[in-house]
Amino acid sequence: MNTNTMSRRKFCQLAASGIVLAPSFGRAYQQPNAGPITAREVVQRIRQHVGVTWRTPTADEFKVGDPDASITGITTTFMSNFEVLQRSVAAGNNFIITHEPTFWSATDIISDLKDDPLYQQKLKYIAENKLVVWRFHDHWHAHRPDGIFAGWNRVMGWDQYAVAGTTPFSHEYVIPETRLEDLAKEMHAKLNLRSLRLVGNPDLKVSRLGNGGHYIPQCMNLLPRVDAIMVFECREWEAAEYVRDAIAAGQKKALIQMPHEGGEEMGMDECARWLRTFVSEVPVKFIASGDPFWLAA
Amino acid sequence: MEDVKGMLTGQELMQRIQKNVGVPWQSQRPDGFADGVNIGNPETVVTGIVTSYAATVEVLRRAVASGRNTILCRETPFYSRGERAPTAYRNAPAPPKELTDKDSVCRFKQDLISENNLLIIRFVDNWDARNTNGQLRGLVRALGWDQLSHNRNDDYSTSAAVFQVPVTSLGNLARSISENLKIRSARVIGDPQSSVSVVAVTHGVILVSDAERMLRERPDVVVAGDAVEWEAVPYFQDLVTAGRAKGLVLVGNEASEDPGMLEMARWLKTFVTEVPIEWISAGEPFWTLRNV
Repeated sequence: MNTNTMSRRKFCQLAASGIVLAPSFGRAYQQPNAGPITAREVVQRIRQHVGVTWRTPTADEFKVGDPDASITGITTTFMSNFEVLQRSVAAGNNFIITHEPTFWSATDIISDLKDDPLYQQKLKYIAENKLVVWRFHDHWHAHRPDGIFAGWNRVMGWDQYAVAGTTPFSHEYVIPETRLEDLAKEMHAKLNLRSLRLVGNPDLKVSRLGNGGHYIPQCMNLLPRVDAIMVFECREWEAAEYVRDAIAAGQKKALIQMPHEGGEEMGMDECARWLRTFVSEVPVKFIASGDPFWLAA
Repeated sequence: MEDVKGMLTGQELMQRIQKNVGVPWQSQRPDGFADGVNIGNPETVVTGIVTSYAATVEVLRRAVASGRNTILCRETPFYSRGERAPTAYRNAPAPPKELTDKDSVCRFKQDLISENNLLIIRFVDNWDARNTNGQLRGLVRALGWDQLSHNRNDDYSTSAAVFQVPVTSLGNLARSISENLKIRSARVIGDPQSSVSVVAVTHGVILVSDAERMLRERPDVVVAGDAVEWEAVPYFQDLVTAGRAKGLVLVGNEASEDPGMLEMARWLKTFVTEVPIEWISAGEPFWTLRNV
C-alpha cells in the first residue's frame, strides 16, 4: 500500500483498526527485517516467555505504528502519554510497550476521536517519529508472579511480608506495625508519589494491609482482614465512602488511595528487567509516567 | 402527630417533587437505583428533610440528632452506582447481596437506618435533567464565581460553564478554589506557574467526551470533580504537553457535587413548607500528607 498517497482519514482508520500500521510516510521502502529486530518479533518472544496461554480477546495488541519495521530501542511505561512518547524519542527508542491505553479509553477506541485535534496531533507525532505502540496489560498481570505487583513488591521491599495464597488483586501483607501517616510517607517516597489521599486516623497503627483493587466488592471482601485497604484508583463513591463509614461505625480502619501509577507503574520497570533477559538486540528502558497530579492545598 | 393538616409522607414528598421538577419524570431504571425511595417505607411521615451528597453514617447521625428522618442524597448509601452507566463512569458492578448482607459496615448502616425509621431518597437523574442545572449552579456559587462574567451558560442550562477570571497562575487558581470549597485534597495537572484566565467548570466525573465539548470554548483550565485515570486524566496530560490547554483541577467528586445539594435544599423550600429542610455537607473524605 502506498502510504504517501493514502488519505489522512484512511490512514487514521487503518492505523487505529490495527489492520495496517504504516508510519512509513515519506521514507524509502525498507526491508522489514533490515534492522536487528522488529516490534512483532519482540512481541512473539514475549508470548513465548510469558508462560500463559494467549487470550482472545485481549487489550494486548499493536495500537499504532508498523509492527514489521525494525526498532531502535524499547520503552516500557505505565502510560504512553504524549510526554512519555517525547521522552522515548529523545532516548532513541521507537517501540513503546505500555500497560495502559494510548488514546484515552480501555480499548483505545478511536472512532469518536477522528475529529479530535489532540488525537490528530498525537497520531501525527507518532507517524513522524515512526513510533510503534503495543499494549501489555492482560498478560503481564496473568504472568506468575503478576508482573505488575512483583514490581510493586520489589520497590516497597514487601515480598517478605506478602501473605501466601492471595491473588494479585487482593494481595495482603503483614508488615511491622507502623503509624498510618508514617506508612503513607514511606509509600510517598518509595513509589515517587505526590497525590496520595487518605481516610482514617493518622495515628492508626497499621500492620495488616491489602490491595482492594479498583472496586468496592474487592474492598468489602478485604476489610475484615486488614487495618488498611490500599486502592490504586477507585471511584470516590466506592472505597472512600465505605471506609469512612467503617470508621464512623467504630472500626479502626484506614484507606490509602493512590493514583493508578502508584500501584502499578513499578510493574513496567519490572517488565523492562524481564525483557532484557530475552531481548538483547536493542536497549530496553523504563520511562516513568509518574504521578499525574500535584496537590493544590 | 399534633398537626395532621401539615403531615407529609415520603410518597407525597416524591409526588410533589415530580410535580415541581419541570421536566417529564424519567422512569425506573432496570438497575433499581432510580430516583425515589431507596430505603425505608414511603408511607413514613416526613419529620424533616436533609439534603446531602451522600447518606454517610455521620450525615445520618446528624439528621437523627436534628429530628429529621428523610435524607435526599446523590450517591447511594451502599457505595455503589450498580450498573448505572458502567461504560461511562467505570464504576464496579454492584456488590452481590450476599456480600452486603454480611458486610459489617453495610449492616451497621442498615441498622442505623431501620432503628431510626429513616427514609433514604435518591434524587439524581431528574434533578440533573431540570432546565437549570442545580449541581452546576451550586458549585459555581460555592466557588464564589456567580458574580463573575461568563461567556456561556449563564442560565446553567448545561452541565458546564465558562468563566473569565482575573489572570493568575494555575497554582494560585487551584489554591483559591481549594479555599473557597474548603477542601484539602484537590489534585491538579499542569504547570503551576502557567498563566490562566479562562476557566471551564463542571461537576462530577469528567469524561473525554465532556472534555472535548468543553474545549470548544477554549478554556485555559478545566475544573471538575473526578476523572478516570486511564481516560480524561492522560487526556489532559496530553493536552498540556501538546500546548492545547494549561491544566485540569480535580476538586473531588464530593466537593463538586455537595454544593448542588444545598441548591436542592433551596429549591425544595419553595414548595415544601410543612417541615424543616437543611443541607448537611458530607464533607471531603480525604486528607493528604500536606495537611495532616
